[in-house]
Amino acid sequence: MSSQGLVQHLIYGIQHLRQLTIKQRIIIAVVLLAIMVGVIGFFVYYSFNNVLSKLHSIEIIDDVNIAFLEMRKAEKNYFLYKDLNALKELAELGRKNQEAMLSSKSYVMPILQQPGRRDYDRLLEVLRKYLSLAERANVVSPQDFEEEFRSLGQELSSVSEQLLKQERETVSRIINFNVVMLIASLGIIFIIQLILWHYFFGLLIDELNIMDRLIKKVSEGRFHEVAVQTISPHNEIEIAIKAISEMARKLEKREDEILQAGKLASLGVLISGVAHELGNPLNNISMMAQAYLGLYDMLGDEEKKNFMGDIYTQTERIRKIVENLLDFSRQKKQELQETNLREIVQVSLALVSNHLKLAEVKQHVDILENLPRVLVDVSQIEQVLVNLFINAIQAMPEGGDLFVSAGYDPQSEFLTLEVRDTGVGIKKDILSKIFDPFFTTKSTKGTGLGLSVSYGIIRQHHGDITVESEEGKGTKFLIKLPSIKEKGTANAKKDSRGG
Amino acid sequence: MPKKILVVDDEKIVCDMARLILQNEGYEVDTFTDSQLALKAIRERRYDLVVTDLKMENINGMDILREVNRLYPDAKVIMLTAYATLDATIEAIRERIYDFFPKPVKIEDLKKSVKKALGD
Repeated sequence: MSSQGLVQHLIYGIQHLRQLTIKQRIIIAVVLLAIMVGVIGFFVYYSFNNVLSKLHSIEIIDDVNIAFLEMRKAEKNYFLYKDLNALKELAELGRKNQEAMLSSKSYVMPILQQPGRRDYDRLLEVLRKYLSLAERANVVSPQDFEEEFRSLGQELSSVSEQLLKQERETVSRIINFNVVMLIASLGIIFIIQLILWHYFFGLLIDELNIMDRLIKKVSEGRFHEVAVQTISPHNEIEIAIKAISEMARKLEKREDEILQAGKLASLGVLISGVAHELGNPLNNISMMAQAYLGLYDMLGDEEKKNFMGDIYTQTERIRKIVENLLDFSRQKKQELQETNLREIVQVSLALVSNHLKLAEVKQHVDILENLPRVLVDVSQIEQVLVNLFINAIQAMPEGGDLFVSAGYDPQSEFLTLEVRDTGVGIKKDILSKIFDPFFTTKSTKGTGLGLSVSYGIIRQHHGDITVESEEGKGTKFLIKLPSIKEKGTANAKKDSRGG
Repeated sequence: MPKKILVVDDEKIVCDMARLILQNEGYEVDTFTDSQLALKAIRERRYDLVVTDLKMENINGMDILREVNRLYPDAKVIMLTAYATLDATIEAIRERIYDFFPKPVKIEDLKKSVKKALGD
């Protein structure tokens, strides 16, 4: 690209900085820095070149000066001893010097400043007069000659001294100036670099922080919060942020699909569960009916009545299983309302208070003050808690302690609800199955749907329920529910899904 | 001397009906809804026939079958099950099960099988 094109690009880039990618911004910064370094480099090169030629001219002038001193020496000899040879020598030196000065003139003149040039010309002029006087030494009257000759000689040496001095001062001035300039410009470049790095790191860190927050939300499964982020990406990191929110959106969709697929998969479990659950009462009814018919004549009235009563009880048992099954599959509309967990926990505990008393289980409630409020279907959450409480009570046939605590994690903005018992615990190999529909350890007493329904309810609230257990020590259920701050959650929950 | 039969099933009604029907056929019948107690009874006295459910709360039917085989190799075991997998069935056959009845059980068939098992 031509230099003019580059400059145009740079100007355009600086005017539209916001819309540039970080790579483009770095390129602009690097080009600007390179231009600055280039300008300074060029300046330094120029001035040192200047210094070099000045030094060269000083050398020449120094030679001229030395030659003048020699001439003055010869002049002195001539006057002291009236030695004509000395005069000849002087003339010779003078001519040589004159030739040297004339041949260097074209080189030296451009290097010298104005007073220096005048001095140089003056030196040539005086030298010419001096030499012509030296040639006419015998002709002119000794008195006049001596005086003029001396004064010309003096002028020669004083002017050349002065010129030399002047040039030396100029050189040291230039060098000093250059050193100051160099240090100052290095300092300025250093500061500009610091500012640029600060700018780029600030930019990166701001954007990385946004990314960090989003990734955390994704890892917590709060996809919809990330998915609603709509930014039109300008730079690489904003593109990455957009990719993350895109990913979150897809993950959310996938999670829904997986939930749906999970429901289908659990249909198999469900069917075999139904077979198990319904098999026993059906067999009971069948056997009673067969026995009733087979032994009809032998049975007394009371026995016949008992048979029918038992058959009725067995049909009731079937009805209850079918009802639970409907509960499990029904897509009930959630009725969300703003409330606090404390109330829900207290109502749920009140519902099982009789069970607690009978089983000699002590309750320990620890709920943090000023918990953020939640937007939930109160009866559903109560259902979950009652289910957990009953499970806990049944796990402590010889009594024990039930701990219920609620807290808040400001970082994830989730409320945490912990239900812990000191019961028999759950075996490791079945711990992963306890949320499966129709999985039960209670044989004829349970339907195996309680925890499965609870799981569905909590997931529908965009929360999470997990379990930890140690055989012989007890079981701990941990529920996480989003706090009300999150507007996105409230909206997302309107489209209620079956659990 | 009537032949002795033990019936074990979590469901009380199964036990009651089995007792009613088998006593009516002239057998001596003990029933248990707790498989642990049933196992204890098996260890204490010899039964000619054991009728057991496969899936029970404490000890399953397969364990009862093994214990009977170990203690009384000539005694017979009939198994009832609400939902038998092929694996469970094969395992039961290898353990020399006498007969196998899916629930709901047909009483006439059960009666016939019991009689055949006891050689009556």
